[in-house]
Amino acid sequence: MHTSKRMTIAYLAMAAALLALFALNLFWGSVALSPADIAAALLGRGTNALAANILLQLRLPRAVMVVLLGAALSVAGYLLQTFFANPIAGPFVMGISSGAKLAVALTMVVFLNRGLLTGSLTLILAAFAGAMAAMLFVLAVARRVQQMSILVICGVMIGYICSAVTDIVVAFAQDSNIVNLHNWSMGSFSGMTWGNVATAAAIVLPCLAAAFLLSKPMAAYQLGESYAASVGVPVRAFSVVLVLLSSLLAACVTAFAGPISFVGIAVPHLVKHTLGSAKPLRVLPGCALGGAAFCLLCDLIARSLFAPTELSISSVTAVFGAPVVIWLLVRRHSGEGTV
Amino acid sequence: MSCCETQNLSVGYGAPLLRDIALHAERGKILALIGPNGAGKSTLLKTLAGQLAAQGGAVLLDGQDLTAYTPNARARKLALMLPHTARTELTSCFEVAAAGRYPYTGRLGILSDTDRQQVHDALCLVRAEELEDRDFARISDGQRQRVLLARAVCQQPEILLLDEPTSFLDVKGKAELMDILQVLAHEKNVAVIVTLHELELAQRLADAVVCVAPSGVSAVLAPQDAFAQDNICALFGLTTDQYAVLFAGSGAKPKPQFEHYIRSGQRLLRCGYTTGTCAALGAAGAARLLLTGHAPESVGLRTPKGIVVEVAPQFCRLTADGAACAIVKDGGDDIDATTGLPVIAAVTLLPGAPRTVTIDGGAGVGRVTKPGLDQPVGAAAINRVPRQMITEALLREADAVGYGGGFAVVISIEGGEAAAKRTFNPHLGVEGGLSVLGTSGIVEPMSQQALLDTLQIEIHQAALKSHRLILAPGNYGLDYLAANYPALHEIPVVKISNFIGEALDMAAAEHFAEVLLVGHVGKLVKLAGGIMNTHSRCADCRTELFCAYAALCGADAATCRALMDAATTDACLDILDAAQLREPVMASLLTAIQTHLDRRAAGAFKVGAVLFSNRNGPLGQTKIADTLLKLWGGA
Repeated sequence: MHTSKRMTIAYLAMAAALLALFALNLFWGSVALSPADIAAALLGRGTNALAANILLQLRLPRAVMVVLLGAALSVAGYLLQTFFANPIAGPFVMGISSGAKLAVALTMVVFLNRGLLTGSLTLILAAFAGAMAAMLFVLAVARRVQQMSILVICGVMIGYICSAVTDIVVAFAQDSNIVNLHNWSMGSFSGMTWGNVATAAAIVLPCLAAAFLLSKPMAAYQLGESYAASVGVPVRAFSVVLVLLSSLLAACVTAFAGPISFVGIAVPHLVKHTLGSAKPLRVLPGCALGGAAFCLLCDLIARSLFAPTELSISSVTAVFGAPVVIWLLVRRHSGEGTV
Repeated sequence: MSCCETQNLSVGYGAPLLRDIALHAERGKILALIGPNGAGKSTLLKTLAGQLAAQGGAVLLDGQDLTAYTPNARARKLALMLPHTARTELTSCFEVAAAGRYPYTGRLGILSDTDRQQVHDALCLVRAEELEDRDFARISDGQRQRVLLARAVCQQPEILLLDEPTSFLDVKGKAELMDILQVLAHEKNVAVIVTLHELELAQRLADAVVCVAPSGVSAVLAPQDAFAQDNICALFGLTTDQYAVLFAGSGAKPKPQFEHYIRSGQRLLRCGYTTGTCAALGAAGAARLLLTGHAPESVGLRTPKGIVVEVAPQFCRLTADGAACAIVKDGGDDIDATTGLPVIAAVTLLPGAPRTVTIDGGAGVGRVTKPGLDQPVGAAAINRVPRQMITEALLREADAVGYGGGFAVVISIEGGEAAAKRTFNPHLGVEGGLSVLGTSGIVEPMSQQALLDTLQIEIHQAALKSHRLILAPGNYGLDYLAANYPALHEIPVVKISNFIGEALDMAAAEHFAEVLLVGHVGKLVKLAGGIMNTHSRCADCRTELFCAYAALCGADAATCRALMDAATTDACLDILDAAQLREPVMASLLTAIQTHLDRRAAGAFKVGAVLFSNRNGPLGQTKIADTLLKLWGGA
């Protein structure tokens, strides 16, 4: 069949891109590593201790983390787009990432000022609390306004408020922490440890699996809430799970890498059009794959474009993602279809 | 067996909007919910669908409370179609329809071959199979509704609920959707509950009706009760006039059934058909029902004028001893007393009287009480030509099926007796109802012929009473006569409008001996110029005549110019008074009038004219008028 052939090709292409980018991420960096060094290090037979160290303790966990968080981000975006029936919904534009960011910043500053170390689990919990708070606010607005553009504007405003408060909090942080915090609040994949990776994987992978299992009611939900209810979707429970999942995924990303913009919008959209389908069953794995590949690419650019200076990941994703959002907005208002 | 019913149901958002709802829907039937906007039709439907919690009471599906069903079990029994959907992208129509398989698919919603077949069958049922691969966001509204309906069908429901399914559809879309719903209900044995704001559709579709008004919800009504005028007026708060505008006749007629136009001056006027044509069409329809067993969709005939009239009967049904068929009179743009009245022909077969047709009048058709009319005194006022048309129509029906017997027809006109009071009938000698008439079969609006026909009858009747006749162009003349010549009340007066020449000809044909014209100077002065139709569209020349005759009497150029420019004849008279010329000018005008009248009468009778003006009073009379008035004793 035409569609299944297209589907296969698209999936293979995305998987190939993911693998290629993953490999590139491993041997591309401020310290040049040869493929031979990498192979040796990966097989544990390396004589070059520095190379092995860079690879196993820096690049490999970072690349794995980028894959996990990239998948998490774009799936979170897709879930939100389905829930709000709006193609420009996403964790960043709806202010959810910013809410998480504020909570994380507060937690970090409070903990650091008391000389306590913040574990990644604490950060994730804080981020989740912040994400949920922002999400609940957005939901409250959504209940009042029907118009999606207003909702998005509200989300962006929440984002600004949270960022402003975060900045204020950062201003009160102790000098030694500022650099770290500042880097983090701009969004970055740097400094990932295997411990971080394990925690992130423990959260992201079950969430992705759960999202995939929701693809049947999500498909029903695409025609609207009443229609979903009419075919037997327990709409209330479904919405709660959807909101929780997307917040958890967004929170996890924010806790580790700070707010990363536009991945949640651009990737699902590109994936849908590559696959030529909007069926969650097909799009969700595609989003995970595509999100991972997209973030690997962006991280690669962030690291290497002005090396050794590292760009914030958001500045790269925004360059790629924002035009997609603009294009979506324009298309939506040029009257393609109604309602 | 009722498969969906409610018990003391109250519905609403937060607070009960409607209470005590007791309705039930049956499989194989279409139940329509009708009522004004905002009354709560959709709210009720949503509650029935389980999307909105009941405020009180219960909805029972097959005897079990709706809330006791799991969402999945409910979805297998009950499907819902709403007017709006969320905007989809990259979703094919097949996928949209397949969403209806939700209650039947597994954990991940992957379709089995059986599911695919079901979806395909559902799309075929709604005639959307060719849309399968099209993008749902890029098809027309009508197609979208059909795909959504297919989606509901995929649920294999026993009950299908539809909220305003026709809202965005054009006429064809509506017709198709109605068809599909009927197939679903009557062939697939689904209980269909549908809210409709279009009463016409509801009327055509529903097997049962529930009226939803802000004041309350009716029980399940039979369609004929629900769509009765009283009920609809009460439900929507319509006045009788509004109802009449909306539902003129039976069901609104978007276009007149009969279209034939004539040109009158600058305007195009729509012709109608006469009561005679109606009677003949009705007789043909009733006869066809009796002879073939089928009520005709439409009946047609060729009128004596040669124009074919084909119309749908208002009704055509069997009666105790025959059949009756009603044709609504359509006067075209000539709205007269009979327009809109149903002319009913009741036909009985007379097998023992080969090829005879007896015609009589029933209720609403007048009886002739005075001689001089088309029919003898005592007969029904059905004129010769209509009788002939009825006979021909019936014999043609008989020939078509090889029937050798005869027919008896009784023509009646619903509301004819009341309408007749607004016509000249009592005055003409037709009592108790309207006349069935028409010589051409076609009503030409505002036609001269129709007016002349009436004039002819009136002059003929006058001739039966007297050999003296007074003709007056209009009401001014009649008033003047009554005021100034009371002694002449014995002499018949006919109002002749502008048709002076024609009236004189008719008077000659009826062998009158003495005829007097009494009229306003503005009309009759035209006779001085030989103008025998005084309608201003025909000719004017009033001021020209005054001017010419004033000049002959020696008026100076200034007076002549003033006369030419005068707006009315009264103004002319003022100018003549000022020039002290009124007497000689009027005398010479009257002489000229007499000359022209004599020429037209051509010796058949004596004719004179009396002229007056509303402002200036009597203006004079011609020589013969003098003689006649003396003779008649009015002077």
